[in-house]
Order: sequence, then structure tokens, then C-alpha cells
Amino acid sequence: MSSLIYFLKESLHGFTRNLSTTLGSIITIFLSLLIIGVFLIGGFIVESVVSSVEERVSITAYVADSSNDSQIQEVRSYLLGLEGVAAVGFTTKDQALEKFRNSMTSNPEIIDQLDGQNPLPASLDIELSDPQKVEQVALALEEYPTYRSISEDPGNPGGSIKYGQKSVERLFTFTNYVRYIGMALVVLLIFIALVFINNTIRLAILARRKEIAIMRLVGASNGFIRGPFLMEGALHAAIGALLAIGSIELIRGFALPKVADALPWFPIDLGAQAFLTVYGLLLVFGLVIGFLGSALAMRRYLKV
Amino acid sequence: MTDYSNQGGIGRPGVRRAASPGSGASGSYARHATSQLSASLPVLDIDDAPQVAGTPVITFDRVSKMYPAQPNKPALNSISLQIYAGEFVFLVGHSGSGKSTFIRMLIREIKPSEGHIYVADEDLSTMRGWRVPYLRRNIGCVFQDFKLLPNKSVFENVAFALEVIGKSRHVIKTQVPEVLRLVGLQDKLNKRPDQLSGGEQQRVSIARAIVNRPPLLICDEPTGNLDPQTSRGIMDLLERINRTGTTVLVATHDREMVDNMRRRVIALERGHLTRDQDRGVYGFDV
Repeated sequence: MSSLIYFLKESLHGFTRNLSTTLGSIITIFLSLLIIGVFLIGGFIVESVVSSVEERVSITAYVADSSNDSQIQEVRSYLLGLEGVAAVGFTTKDQALEKFRNSMTSNPEIIDQLDGQNPLPASLDIELSDPQKVEQVALALEEYPTYRSISEDPGNPGGSIKYGQKSVERLFTFTNYVRYIGMALVVLLIFIALVFINNTIRLAILARRKEIAIMRLVGASNGFIRGPFLMEGALHAAIGALLAIGSIELIRGFALPKVADALPWFPIDLGAQAFLTVYGLLLVFGLVIGFLGSALAMRRYLKV
Repeated sequence: MTDYSNQGGIGRPGVRRAASPGSGASGSYARHATSQLSASLPVLDIDDAPQVAGTPVITFDRVSKMYPAQPNKPALNSISLQIYAGEFVFLVGHSGSGKSTFIRMLIREIKPSEGHIYVADEDLSTMRGWRVPYLRRNIGCVFQDFKLLPNKSVFENVAFALEVIGKSRHVIKTQVPEVLRLVGLQDKLNKRPDQLSGGEQQRVSIARAIVNRPPLLICDEPTGNLDPQTSRGIMDLLERINRTGTTVLVATHDREMVDNMRRRVIALERGHLTRDQDRGVYGFDV
């Protein structure tokens, strides 16, 4: 316990001894963690956007007017047996017309021009539990003989199956890119922070070279010699992490509500849980970087 | 404790035999340690009887050291000797004779290439790294260049040695003034090293070396930077420390000192042990 206090005292002493490099390493850690934090938050937001979009991914399979109930039931039970299918609903011709009428409130004359005829086909509405499976399910349905026979256009059953294929794929590739770039950036920033801490601790070690030599001579244990430097690295990291957390808290308090006001359609609301997770992660990241950076410096410059 | 330097027989300076060869024998001396009383009695040196006077503090058993830079020219070549508790020993030799290697191996800064070194029964060549600090707590070290911290006061410099081995503030407050009184610096507790003379600085460094009461004190050229008058004062101090029972090993170039004090002299020449003599003299032509 008394040596912990000694380590703390010595590492605080290190602050004043090498103020500029100490500030340098704190600021680098702060900036790295800030960017990591912003990326994590951004990741959470993208994640929630993607999941809300994914919820909307469904397949509509049109069926011919001539199909009967038993055929439709057969296709339905087949679909329910497929992997990734959550539910299968059925829209009759009348319901389809009703829906169309509702969506065309701006010019109801289109409906009137139909003269009581209903050109809209009935359809099976397939909801997916796993949106990534959308293409697979669509293909399986296209291959299924009973559906082939009742599809709206038996010559080209694939044409009767509609889903937001292209837009879904584009969204997935986009989020994947963002994820990779984010990860690369985080790795780069962690590396830079490590280099900075390493350098600061190296300078601290060099500044105390004489003291260390005497400590070794009079038999200070290795842990006692290393303790202050580990503590110093960890302290820099902790201060950097707290600054980063403070900044993100400020962004959350002032900037995010304005963005949310400006983009009402964008689901930006994350909740406190996500932020707490990010803060915890930043603190852990920071401490790991701090300990690792000073451990690296000690391995190279403090052979005990 | 008594001074052992007259083990070889009173008034008969004789060449001391090197420690008996055989790696097993050297370690076993300590195990058959005699009592303090019998250890303090002078023992006659009979040629074929093994020397079992007291406990060997230091045992060198055919120790050689080769540095990687000069693999064919050993810095120390098969040195065997024993130093007993309470002895005062001079280690003499020219520059490059292996004195520094000898001392650096004793504090386990380097390991021997061959052979074994025992300090208080412990084999330094097989000692684990984490035990080295505990070895060094039992060895006080004094150097030519004092190695004091310039930004700390005399008191703080000595206290530092206790602080970093985790001694309590109470121990520091009682032991530091005591040891500074012993070296005659009780009035300069708050001076900084640059406000002291060379001799006084060396006294601080000696105080730091003995404040933890180590059984062994090693001095590497303690008077190398000092004038003869001051050197004599330092040597008197070392002798006084020796009289309290501390084994003292002094590596030196100081011919006058060695010749005046007539203590055991171990001479090294190009890595070879050339002389091991009780009540010896410096013996080299300068």
C-alpha cells in the first residue's frame, strides 16, 4: 500500500519533470480515444439504421388469379419451412386494390378509370428473420414447382418475385466498408498512441537513469523500480480517456440533439446504455494502451 | 566481531592458499559454520588442513569470465578464493586486471562464464533474476564517483536507499541520522552534495551503503578521487565499519594505503590471481 502511494507520488512527479512530453502523450491518447469513441458511437448509429432498414426487407411473390387456396397453402407451408423466413402473409386482390387506393389518395381518378375491374394480382408477403438470406429465399421460391405453376407469369416465375435486392446489397457493402475503414483507423490510432506513450516513458526513464542505477545498487526490487513508470503510463492514459469521455458527453449533450432535429427521419436516438458501453470501452482501451506503451518502453530501456 | 586479518599467524605474513579446489567443498564450508565464539578465535594455518575459520562470505570456485568482445582473452581466469566474515580485504591490480569484473560479478551485474560464486551460501550463477535485489540488499557498494543524487540533500540521499527497499518512515528517521553520525556528517544533513567536499561526498555514499546494515561492504576505488589526507580519513572510516563485524572488500590503486594498513591483499594480473597474502603490500611497481 505504501509503495502504491510512492508510485503515485513518483509518477505525479514525472508530470512536472517532463511537462511537454507528458502533455503530448495525454493529448494523443485523448484524440485517439475521442476518434475511437466517435467511431464506436457512429457504428452504433449505423447499426441501428441498418437494423431498422433490415426489418423492412421482405419478399412479395405475386400469384396468378387462377390459383386456388390449396396451392397457395402449399407454397406458404413450404416457405415457412425455409431458413430465414419469419412469417408469410397473404394479400388478396381486393386487399391489394384497397392498399393501392390508399397510396393513391392524391389522384383517385386513376382508380375510377379502372371501371370496377381489378388488375392487381394477389400476393404472398414473406417476412424474413435474417435479411441476408433474402436472395436465397427468393431463389428457392422461384425453383419450387407449385409456385411455378401458380405464379403470375408461369414462363418467368422469377419476374413475379419482388424484393429490394439492389438497395439492400448496396447498404450492406456500404456498412461493411465503413466498418473496415473504422477498424483500420482505430488500429492506426492505437499504434500512434502506443508510440507516444512509449516515447514519454522512455524520456522519463532516461531522466531518472541515475536514480534507477542507485535503486538497483541498493537492492530495490524490480517491481519497485518499474512501478512508477507503469503508473505514469496508466495515469496518462486514464487522463486521456477521461478527456475523451468528457468530450463525447459534450457532443452528446449539445450536438446530437441538433442533428436529431435536423434529420428527423434518421434514427439517431441511442439511449444511455450505448454511451455507457462506449465510455467503459474507452477507459479499458486507454488503460491497455497506457500499460502496454510503458511496458514496451521498459522492456527496451529498463533492463532490470 | 574480531579482526581476522591475522589468521595466517601473528607477525608471519604468509601467502594464503587459494580456496581448496573442488566445487562441492566450497559450498559446504558455510553449512558447517562454526559458532561466533570459535569463529573469532585465531586459527593456525596448517598447510594440509582446510581453512574453516568462520563462515566464508564470498567463495570463488574456479571462476572465469570471458566477454563476448574478447572470447580468447578472459577478463578473469579460473579464480578460486574465499573471503571470511569480518575480513578486511584489498583487491589490487592494474587497470584491466579484472578488478571491476570481480566486483561486478559479486553484485550479480554479470554472471561468470565458468565456475561458481557463492555469497553467503547462495550460488550467484544459478540465482534467479528476481532474487538479485535481495542479494544486493546484503551488499553495500561504494564507488569512486560517489553516485549521489544531486537534487537531494544528504539526508534524502541516504534515506533513498531505505525508501526504495520499502522501509518504514520510522526506520528511516532513526537509522539515517545514526549512520550519518557514524560517518561524521551529523551537522550536514540538509546540505546538497555539491555543497560538500569530495571526502564528505564519499562519506555520504558510504553512509548510504551501510545504512541498511549489510554484512558485506564493497568499495571500488573509494579514494580514487581524493587527496591522501582525505583518503586516510575514508580508510579509517572503513576500518571502523569493519570493526563492527562488516566484511569489507576494497578494490584500489592506492599503494600507500595498502602498504600502511597491512591487511589481506588479493592481487590480480591480466585476469589471473597472482597473490593472496595476509598483511600484504601493494606489491606492484607503479
